[in-house]
Amino acid sequence: MADPHQLFDDTSATAPGRGYAAQQSPPVGYPAQGSFLAEPMSSFAMTYGSTLASHGKEIVDKNIDRFIPVTKLKYYFAVDTVYVGKKLGLLLFPFMHQDWQVRYQQDTPVAPRFDINAPDLYIPVMAFITYILVAGLALGTQNRFSPDILGLQASSALAWLIVEVLAILLSLYLVTVNTDLTTIDLVAFSGYKYVGMIVGIVSGLLFGKTGYYLLLSWCCLSIFVFMIRTLRLKILSEAAAEGVLVRGAKNQLRMYLTMAIAALQPLFMYWLTYHLVR
Amino acid sequence: MAFTLYALLQAALLFVNAIAVLHEERFLRNVGWGTEQGIGGFGEEPGIKAQLMNLIRSVRTVMRGKMKSTV
Repeated sequence: MADPHQLFDDTSATAPGRGYAAQQSPPVGYPAQGSFLAEPMSSFAMTYGSTLASHGKEIVDKNIDRFIPVTKLKYYFAVDTVYVGKKLGLLLFPFMHQDWQVRYQQDTPVAPRFDINAPDLYIPVMAFITYILVAGLALGTQNRFSPDILGLQASSALAWLIVEVLAILLSLYLVTVNTDLTTIDLVAFSGYKYVGMIVGIVSGLLFGKTGYYLLLSWCCLSIFVFMIRTLRLKILSEAAAEGVLVRGAKNQLRMYLTMAIAALQPLFMYWLTYHLVR
Repeated sequence: MAFTLYALLQAALLFVNAIAVLHEERFLRNVGWGTEQGIGGFGEEPGIKAQLMNLIRSVRTVMRGKMKSTV
């Protein structure tokens, strides 16, 4: 047993003498079951343990902001039910929406709760998890299910998401676009396609292959339009985004980039779901 | 289609290694992708080729680590 005097000052109420006395008494008889908590040593151990725990918590709290930008992430999860409902409707039918500009409030974008055009991370995260569950369901109906397939699907979809975000980041760097799109924004936009994928798989389960192809093509089209309309405002210059045809190689390149990013979404939607619907 | 995270890590490592082994003098200059010729004027925005060459050079610099720089 550790000698408490070597570690730190004796802060327990008992005097050090009682500690020694307790060490000499074990040959006499072990204390009763419930009363080991009354032993001075164990109260010591508890105090030491709790100081260690609070110390560790302080260190984690101080350094967590270095690795995961917690405050920035909180912005993306500031959603409510109305926003989620409207956003899901927008993802599946973006054709009637007129104003795609994100509202700003003194230089910072407004939280998703107040502006339907703002990107959020709640829907992508939930859609990702739901996609994995629905994939498990689909495989189960074909007798191809085993528990490790869930993990495989999850890591596969996650790896493709990382590849896609890295590819978009690389192409944004190469084209030298001055945009305020952060990496988390890109993750959010890339995660919106999982909603369409879920709709496709569910319709494939209910209505067979024809239902799958029909609804998947509809969702591909809507995600394509959604991405183009959203990214156009962020990547293209102000004038071009208004709809005015601005000539010049730079704007043309940016338009191609926007279309390429938008075209990547239907591709991935098909690639990640076709093996689930037979 | 089992594209695991480990496979992604391997692919990324091999890709970065491939960029790191492109030798500046022996190869890139012959192809025309050396960084001295590329970065021209200061006012004009760099095109894609200049950005790529910059990227290759920065990857090589970062990957070189503690070795002596011999261009």
